[in-house]
Amino acid sequence: MKNKNSKIFLIFLIPTFISIILLTYIPVLRGLIIAFQNYNLFDLSNIHFIGFKNFQAVLNDTNFSFLRILLNTFLWVTVSLFFQFVLGFGLALLMQKPFKGRGLYSGLVFYPWALSGFAIGLIWAWMFNGQFGIINDLLQKIGLIHQNIGFLSDPKYALISVIIANIWYGIPFFGIMLLAALQSVPLELYEAAEIDGAGHFKKLFHITIPYIKPTIISTTLLRAIWIMNFPEIIYGMTSGGPANSTNILATQMINKIYNFYDYGQGSAIGLMIMGIMIIYAIIYLKVTYLKEFEL
Amino acid sequence: MKKLMIVLVSIFLLVSVASFSASAKVTLNFIEVLTSPERTDLLKEIISDFEALHPDIHINLISPPYEQADQKVTLMLNTNQPLDIVEVRDYTVKQFVNNKKLLNLESYLGSWPDSKTLLPITWQSARTVDNIAYIVPQEFYIKALFYRTDVLKELGINYVPETMSELFEMCKEITDPSKNQYGFSFRGKAWELKFSDLISGSFLDDLDTNNIYLKTDGKVYFNDPRAVEGLKLYIRFFEETTPKDAINWGFNEQVNAFVSGTAPLLIQDPDTVGLVDKMLGRDKYMVAPIPVGPSGKAYLDYGFAGLGIPSYSKYKEEAWKFIEYISSPEVNSYFCKNYGPLPIHSVTYKADPYFNTGVYLAWAYMMEHPEKYVFAKYPIDSSKWPGWPQIHEADMQSLLLGKVTIEEVVNKWTEYWQ
Repeated sequence: MKNKNSKIFLIFLIPTFISIILLTYIPVLRGLIIAFQNYNLFDLSNIHFIGFKNFQAVLNDTNFSFLRILLNTFLWVTVSLFFQFVLGFGLALLMQKPFKGRGLYSGLVFYPWALSGFAIGLIWAWMFNGQFGIINDLLQKIGLIHQNIGFLSDPKYALISVIIANIWYGIPFFGIMLLAALQSVPLELYEAAEIDGAGHFKKLFHITIPYIKPTIISTTLLRAIWIMNFPEIIYGMTSGGPANSTNILATQMINKIYNFYDYGQGSAIGLMIMGIMIIYAIIYLKVTYLKEFEL
Repeated sequence: MKKLMIVLVSIFLLVSVASFSASAKVTLNFIEVLTSPERTDLLKEIISDFEALHPDIHINLISPPYEQADQKVTLMLNTNQPLDIVEVRDYTVKQFVNNKKLLNLESYLGSWPDSKTLLPITWQSARTVDNIAYIVPQEFYIKALFYRTDVLKELGINYVPETMSELFEMCKEITDPSKNQYGFSFRGKAWELKFSDLISGSFLDDLDTNNIYLKTDGKVYFNDPRAVEGLKLYIRFFEETTPKDAINWGFNEQVNAFVSGTAPLLIQDPDTVGLVDKMLGRDKYMVAPIPVGPSGKAYLDYGFAGLGIPSYSKYKEEAWKFIEYISSPEVNSYFCKNYGPLPIHSVTYKADPYFNTGVYLAWAYMMEHPEKYVFAKYPIDSSKWPGWPQIHEADMQSLLLGKVTIEEVVNKWTEYWQ
């Protein structure tokens, strides 16, 4: 009986297995091959293996400096992730205790998560517009600035501007996930701590955070990967400009494929993203998760 | 479980029988790429008129979202998906021909009576690749100068600039940042090269019409001293007549600045007419021919889209019937009138009052004065072309931000196209 059950179990796994193979692993394998080929949509009759030339071309690209792209990607991921997490956590803590209208309020603050990244890019592009943008208008009215700032046209502000839009977008994710985790923390722990005379900070750092640590680790890990693979906002706001100042790996990959028709170099960048993410995930898990649980 | 299987099998059978019986009628798959809701409705209207005339043909219109459309057509063609009519753009025609996906249409065009009234530019576009007609163009995009009659009147301007330097002087005169009044509606991103080349190219009189980046002596034009002068004027437009933010302006921001009156002079394509009509109304603006440069000329790039037949289509004759219908002077004029771009037949400009009065006069004038307005092509059939607009954009933005010098940029571009 037990044996038969496990076989049925396998049959149920087949559809998922097949679809993952077809839709994930085969394309990944194909991308892996294309990354080493001269594969340009402009002329499909001339496809052949060229070794590491695609990688070299990406690394030595004089039009789009690779170092700059790498630095942009690093800032894009770390700064966005940090503020998304801190503000999202704050939001979750604020909403932990019931108050009147909490349902409506949470619906409203979680709303950005339901929007498409490209739409968010377009909305923020208009808000940051140096001519008609509401942010310039508000800053002028408060008296902080006297002349409009070209947030998206000045390389000094462009990256910060797209990161702000991204932070705004990502806060609800942490809010939702951490709020759910917070609600699982047993109230008895807090009561016991209070009896022992613990203050708010002690409770936060000795009960709340340790208790929801697994959620924190998995959400920040996932989110870092998603942010790295999230070119939509940048595309909607600056398409990587001005002068390459907001280009990240993911936007450059799309740029290579959609504008240069160069699937070879596009796939090479895709592989680099994958490589970076794998290394990041291993180190991150080693440092945080695995060590603690001794897996 | 058994019941479910029976239901599924019978549904499958029903569907296949239904599709089999329907196939007695020829179904053509037609994919468009310049998708927009109004345009799709217009095409559907034309298709249903055609189907009424040809009851044995049914046309299935596929309308992928504009941003993904070219990509989708490419993938469908390269995997020989059932397609019979494809919309092909100036930027994709070479690629499709390279990959042997388009049918040579010369013999069809030869026996088509209406081909006699096609404009020279229509033929030129049809034969973009290897001088063989692989498509029948349906519409043209040629730039002209839009100006706000009301705003300029208020600012005390009562003339229309006819040369680039007049345009610059006018823009500079009305620019007053303290009042948020600027002159030129600048384009800083997404195909900004169409604007910078228009201005710097107008300083030369010997550009190659088959490749706007070459001079007739075969050399690249970018580092020609005249072109450098033109580029300097272009930079002055940015520095002296537009807000700094314009470096990040695409089409929407440009039109917005024009409609709001912040920048009352705009260089744009005819499909902007419909948009500005809706946002502003005909009484507040007018269109003039592009100002010419010191050479007395302006080299105008023209954009186009047309229809082609995939080389592997099973219903080539039926597909041609439709192309012939939609490309006839009557239908093409109706299509362009309702959508905005310029029609393909010379008779339309002569006979139709819509295209020979008002704002369209500017385009009619440019088409009739080849000594001043030269239609020239970008080297879109070159393998260096894909990605070039992005390289140009990044370089131009660096130049406008003062991160690189003019010499560095023009030498780099010259080397690229050498």
